[in-house]
Amino acid sequence: MTEDEFTDINGKAISLQCQSHSNFCREFTVSAPKLSLRRIMVYTCSVWLVAYVVFFFTQNTAVLSSAIFITLVGMMLHIHFVKIDHETLLIVGSLGVQVSSSYASGRESTTFIEMSKIKDIVINEAIYMQRVIYSLCILLKDPSDPGAVSTVVPLFQSSKPRLNCLVKVYRSCQEILAQC
Amino acid sequence: MGQRKRAAIRDSLANQIMDGITLGHQDSPKHNICMVSDFFYPNMGGVESHIYQLSQCLIERGHKVIIVTHAYGNRKGIRYLTNALKVYYLPLQVMYNQSTATTCFHSLPLLRCVFVRERITVVHAHSSFSAMAHDSLFHAKTMGLNTVFTDHSLFGFADVSSVLTNKLLTVSLCDTSHIICVSYTSKENTVLRAALDPEIVSVIPNAVDPTDFTPDPSQRDDSKITIVVISRLVYRKGIDLLGGIIPELCLKYPQLHFLIGGEGPKRIVLEEVREKYQLHDRVRLLGALEHKDVRNVLIQGHIFLNTSLTEAFCMAIVEGASCGLQVVSTRVGGIPEVLPKELITLCEPTVSSLCEGLEMVIARQRAGTVPPPATIHSRVRTLYTWRNVAERTEKVYDRVAKETVQPLHRRLHRLQAHCGPVAGCIFAFIAVLDFLFLLLLQWLVPDSVIDLAVDASGPHALWKRSGNRKHSV
Repeated sequence: MTEDEFTDINGKAISLQCQSHSNFCREFTVSAPKLSLRRIMVYTCSVWLVAYVVFFFTQNTAVLSSAIFITLVGMMLHIHFVKIDHETLLIVGSLGVQVSSSYASGRESTTFIEMSKIKDIVINEAIYMQRVIYSLCILLKDPSDPGAVSTVVPLFQSSKPRLNCLVKVYRSCQEILAQC
Repeated sequence: MGQRKRAAIRDSLANQIMDGITLGHQDSPKHNICMVSDFFYPNMGGVESHIYQLSQCLIERGHKVIIVTHAYGNRKGIRYLTNALKVYYLPLQVMYNQSTATTCFHSLPLLRCVFVRERITVVHAHSSFSAMAHDSLFHAKTMGLNTVFTDHSLFGFADVSSVLTNKLLTVSLCDTSHIICVSYTSKENTVLRAALDPEIVSVIPNAVDPTDFTPDPSQRDDSKITIVVISRLVYRKGIDLLGGIIPELCLKYPQLHFLIGGEGPKRIVLEEVREKYQLHDRVRLLGALEHKDVRNVLIQGHIFLNTSLTEAFCMAIVEGASCGLQVVSTRVGGIPEVLPKELITLCEPTVSSLCEGLEMVIARQRAGTVPPPATIHSRVRTLYTWRNVAERTEKVYDRVAKETVQPLHRRLHRLQAHCGPVAGCIFAFIAVLDFLFLLLLQWLVPDSVIDLAVDASGPHALWKRSGNRKHSV
């Protein structure tokens, strides 16, 4: 098991954990830094400041209680649906690929793709927001025409590692794909 | 026929080997070139094929070339063409006639990302109709990159729209490092329109692929005389003149046939003429033609007719002559420079003059005094080749790479001094804003976090060495 430090496309530090369970089974985990206390403080303070300004002019206490409510609900939604701590790619030769992401709240979502459906794993260039980035993708076979690609499934969508990290994962994946 | 083709292949191979040897010996600098234009395949036209062929020849000469254009329908993202030519289809909004909307700013983030990740040294923009080309020139100068612009068309000076475009062109080209025009007429036109120093304007003509346009006299019917017209059926191409010529000549010469390829709003004019004079069996309208079908139409004819009212450099007449046809054309724009006198009959852009010219050529055709198609082809095939164009364009890049890009304060000064008090000040202000926007972007996304792209072409190309290890989607 090895752990390396990389950066994501915005220059933030992320870590890649490679675990080799056996010759044909490997697990890659990309972990983003935990939710920082500073960011929470900044967001909370800004919402409350706005609420106080509104309260100052309207003299209505409902504004303050709703501000508390908004921060709480917002934070819960954020850790439950937005903030992803780990993204894991488990590749088992001849069986398939399991992609899971665990949210900051502990919720996990997992999908499994059978090896028979996978055509290849590639590094692709894509236009994302106002940038052109590299991303690791799984190409799925078209059931009607085995030569063609029907869908492209992007991996590590929330952490978005840079090319050097992707190349490392890509090489290991190709080793396993070459075996089966 | 087969032998000739084989000989052509042998020639091109020999050229390639020669190129390889010369490349090995002389240590000419290699550039990272970015071609920018709104017009590229799948859109069809002269600019599109110019960019494609030029890029292919530059790749062959060892440069790294990428093409940037806007998204065409479903075709967006990054694609690879033959010889690992990389094309960026950027999702920018199309406004009018396949040209993107321009706000001077919104394309900066994407273009900057492309320029940085591909380590571009020369930005080469094409066509003055393309807003994206002007935008990219503007941004490239802000980022301190060398710029080259190729103008493919002629403009007027009198009407409101051309006065406005000319002003924009003045602003856009006033600090561009070098400008390329396709003919001397086009150079004169551009220098006047954009108030440029003629020193920084070069003339490099277009070319045709001579192996694509070979004559084949067996395909044509010598019992009749066929006149071929291939052009878009629009006003600029003089389709109204064609509508006048057809009935006049058809009445005089019963064995005369017309073959017209192309589509456009003026098709109705030709259809009316055909209807009125009952010429359905003698005037065939083929509709829009694909590039690969053009030769099959050309070789059926004896005479190629071009009725353009304005033209910077007419590719169509070179293609026609390359297929061994007698060429009759209007004497407008850069056309008189294109072919040597004995291969072309020039007329004034009037019905009577064109009819006269055509009658002369028909008479020669009947008397059998015209040179055989193979002779014409062998003359034309050496006149305009893409390798020659690429070689000359490379010299422009070499020259441009030695120049330093003007820093911002000099640029502002030049804009104000060169473009008039009002437009100069406005665009100097926009240039400053663009610079500030660039600083903001560099702060948000520093150059160091933009991944450098893997080279597909050029001296460090991975493509050839490792085959299909990398896939494109």
